[in-house]
Amino acid sequence: MDVTQELADYAAANSTAVLQRANPVITDPGLLAAFDNTPVDAEEYSSNLESHLLALTLTSTQALIASLFTLPTTSSSSGPITSLPAPITLLPREKPLPKPKPLTKWERFAKAKGISHKKKDRDVWDEERQEWVARWGKGGKNKDKEEQWLHEVKAGEEADQDPAKTARGERKARIAKNLKQQAANLAAASSKPIPISSLRDGPSSKLSKPSRSLGEESQETKKAGRDKRKAELERSMLISKTSTASLGRFDEKIQGEPKVKGVKRKFEPVAKTDYSGEKESALNVLKRIESGFGSDKKRSKKGGEGAEGGLNVRKAVRFQGKQDRAAGKSSSGAPGKKGKRK
Amino acid sequence: MRPLTEEETKAVFEKLANYIGKNLVHMIDRDEDDAYCFRLHKDRVYYLPLPMLNLATSIARPNLISLGTCMGKFSKTGKFKLGVTSLDWLAKYAKYKVWIKPSGELPFLYGNHVAKAHLGRITEDTPEHQGVVVFNMSDVPLGFGVTARSTLDTRKLEPTGIIVFHQADVGEFLRDEDTMF
Repeated sequence: MDVTQELADYAAANSTAVLQRANPVITDPGLLAAFDNTPVDAEEYSSNLESHLLALTLTSTQALIASLFTLPTTSSSSGPITSLPAPITLLPREKPLPKPKPLTKWERFAKAKGISHKKKDRDVWDEERQEWVARWGKGGKNKDKEEQWLHEVKAGEEADQDPAKTARGERKARIAKNLKQQAANLAAASSKPIPISSLRDGPSSKLSKPSRSLGEESQETKKAGRDKRKAELERSMLISKTSTASLGRFDEKIQGEPKVKGVKRKFEPVAKTDYSGEKESALNVLKRIESGFGSDKKRSKKGGEGAEGGLNVRKAVRFQGKQDRAAGKSSSGAPGKKGKRK
Repeated sequence: MRPLTEEETKAVFEKLANYIGKNLVHMIDRDEDDAYCFRLHKDRVYYLPLPMLNLATSIARPNLISLGTCMGKFSKTGKFKLGVTSLDWLAKYAKYKVWIKPSGELPFLYGNHVAKAHLGRITEDTPEHQGVVVFNMSDVPLGFGVTARSTLDTRKLEPTGIIVFHQADVGEFLRDEDTMF
């Protein structure tokens, strides 16, 4: 039985011819993508859309698959494997570019003076120990002066002072100064004063210096920050003014002192056309305090359920259980016999 | 004059509920044509029918002395104190009642506590420290107070023992006449 004719008919009915494109289809195997640059045939597109789109897709897909088969393959147990090349098409960045970090005071100065940064290594060579040691930190070289076993007392120095202690104090002072500078830089960056204590918990003094705005900041953000700080200052001033024993009643007024504006109380209107809302809210209040009814003050703190009617059900059940247990223990032969009440 | 805020409403209701319990609902949830409301005026809480309220809105605040039934007043610290003028409403809805003998009427009306010797009747199973309304034997409300003992415990008490702590009595209408309203 010859079915070639039928098969050919079927193939002819279900096949879509590969279209001839004026510009060849560009493929990017790295992204498994194909791009067809040829302009859309308007006539074909409007007359039979579905079949045209199918043909276009088929053309691009075939081009892509053809390009994939040109790639070198390696054989494996599950068939030939090809590794895709790096993508050619450049995709746009997903996230916005990171904002440039605000410059520190030193960086600004260095930029203005044209000083280029020279990065220091963390480790330095120690001639005496003949090994690399850290510049600071654990076993750091900056602690050499305070850790040496013998100190030279220069002429004119007082004999009773501790050179190790002095050296340590100097080092700690440098750390504190750096922390302060860091805080100032951070404060300038966020145009908001940040206390040093937030950087590192230490005995260092708090920074209350108003922040320095960066040059790159716009006028409006500067003004917003200034207004915010002003409001904060006024608030803290009001608080401190009323923080006396007399709540600031007898304190002298300062010129230009902000006026205290209290919160205005708001009440419902006295008379209205519809009182159902008022009734509702009253009933709500009643419902909320209703749980406190019954034996109001004697209610168990553990949430004695069923305190209604002068009987605490939880307590009664517990009492009954205790009695039953006592009865079962004393007279094991007669269950259900009432225990003696004390 | 203004409606009560939520906290004020709570303070008032808690005090009232101590005397009339769940009957408080009958004071709030009333018929359309017999609706009442609570209003605060110069620290005093008034309970008044709505038509009266609408009339009272035409009177300026400094000129308005009193309206409806004064239920009590708010202290400067925000606590609510029931006044004897609320007695009519309390007596109407009271949950626990105490009747005193004719011999005990006068001492109570002079502002003394109710002793056991003067006790005529008391509502069954009244708990301790419960707000009660005091009546004379012919069912005329005389005042209100708080029970010192529960009904059961009163049996053991000696005749001079206090049963009801005095809170307000109608004698105040004469004694505190000038500061009452």
